[in-house]
Amino acid sequence: MSVLLEGVSFRYPGSDTDALHEVSLALRPGEVTLVTGRLGAGCSTLLLVVAGLAPHATGGTRSGEVATLECDPASRDGRKVLAGRVGLLLPTPWTQLSGMSVTVEEEVAFGPANLGWRRPRIAEAVQHAMERFGVTHLARRDPRTLSGGELQRVMFAGVLAMEPEVLLLDEPALELDPAGAASMYELLRSLAEQCTVLLASTDLDRVAAVAGRALLLDRGSLVADGTVEDVLGSDGAVATGCSTTVADIARAAGLAPGYPLTVSDAVQRMRR
Amino acid sequence: MSPRLVGYVPGRSPLHQAHPFTALVLAGTVVVLAFALPAPQGPAALAVALAALALLAGLPRVLLTALGFSLPFWFFLAVIHGVTGESALRVLTVGSQISAMLIAFLLALATVHPARLVDALLQRGVPFSLAYLLSATLQAVPRLRRQATDIVEAQRCRGLRVRGSIWRRVSAIVPLAIPLVLGARGEAGERAMALDARGAAAPAHRTPLEPPADSIAQRIARWLLAAAAVAAVVWRIAA
Repeated sequence: MSVLLEGVSFRYPGSDTDALHEVSLALRPGEVTLVTGRLGAGCSTLLLVVAGLAPHATGGTRSGEVATLECDPASRDGRKVLAGRVGLLLPTPWTQLSGMSVTVEEEVAFGPANLGWRRPRIAEAVQHAMERFGVTHLARRDPRTLSGGELQRVMFAGVLAMEPEVLLLDEPALELDPAGAASMYELLRSLAEQCTVLLASTDLDRVAAVAGRALLLDRGSLVADGTVEDVLGSDGAVATGCSTTVADIARAAGLAPGYPLTVSDAVQRMRR
Repeated sequence: MSPRLVGYVPGRSPLHQAHPFTALVLAGTVVVLAFALPAPQGPAALAVALAALALLAGLPRVLLTALGFSLPFWFFLAVIHGVTGESALRVLTVGSQISAMLIAFLLALATVHPARLVDALLQRGVPFSLAYLLSATLQAVPRLRRQATDIVEAQRCRGLRVRGSIWRRVSAIVPLAIPLVLGARGEAGERAMALDARGAAAPAHRTPLEPPADSIAQRIARWLLAAAAVAAVVWRIAA
């Protein structure tokens, strides 16, 4: 098991409600797991808890058991062991810039260098990550001059260059154009073959075709955990706007729950 | 004003290729000399020499920025002291000191690659967290300046008038300063999390990506600069 949560609750400092409440789940390598919910559901917080940044960086209180790659990510020892093994991509790329790189290549190399890798290994990992995200042509550019979409891909390449075993992605396509988002989600499939991917997203029309499993959060509580078809195709998910446009249309058309999520899914069902 | 006016500007001048410590020692020496050399000719000559150095390094923008920052000082000095006789010498002295220091630091910011500075500090055994803090501090001014420009534009789009009478300008400071401070605070929090996730707190010793070359000539130059600063202070005290 890559990630294991047992009855985990988390509360931010100064708040009187739990951002996460009694959440239990297990994530295995080899699958893309989507976590979604309405605004304030706790999706981003879940990622921070798995990464150990909540409460380590955010403050607040956590209860319950968290094991990321068999370590408590918020403990001092856990943080040492997990450095570089858990990759986290935040939604705003410009706040993730290291601030000390004047080229994209250096920015991507920031993480691997922090891990103390030898320079040839860093160069190889950086080249590979940049190729995967199609940002090789930006290598000599100043990261501060990139567009939001370019920077998002560069930051993703920077996370990937560390070769993480657990990949935590918070709205990774927020800055991308439709084509860029589609190719990024496509890439997630192959990444999931090497690591565990937990993806927080509300871009459900695209993600539904990529993720195998979905978690639905509501005000910090895990209300559904299952295949993407079961969770996003349920009446509750569609009624609360946590599903795809196709499922929304299917529900409005009066179909029974277990709604199709994608156009191809809907077409297949109609043919049957 | 472009964000490039403050901060690192890529280039191939000797100053760019110098070891980061050399540029920083030069800036530090200038501060000492600006106050220790006989005024006003000392600081004025220093400002002129640094201006020439900036032009030779292909960084005329450094001069423009220094001019932009120092002009208000010159103006207020002239208003306070007057521009005749002894007063003019006083204005020239203080103005030259401020200008020399500004050019020296802007020149160091423009020619010291932040990552190379961190690499140089790591080579000397400085912990990464401390090296990063120094580098981030040097980068903070251009970053805050960019954010301030964005906030001014955003607030102007929302109808805030930032030009006009002194009173109007002063009353516009609060709606500009609060988002800047809160934004910087929020960004610092997110950046800290991102850096943590990117291994900045990893127990391994960070690999210097491109350690800057340091020659004997540069070491001698640094010692000479430091000696010049000390000598100037001693001379000033003795005089």
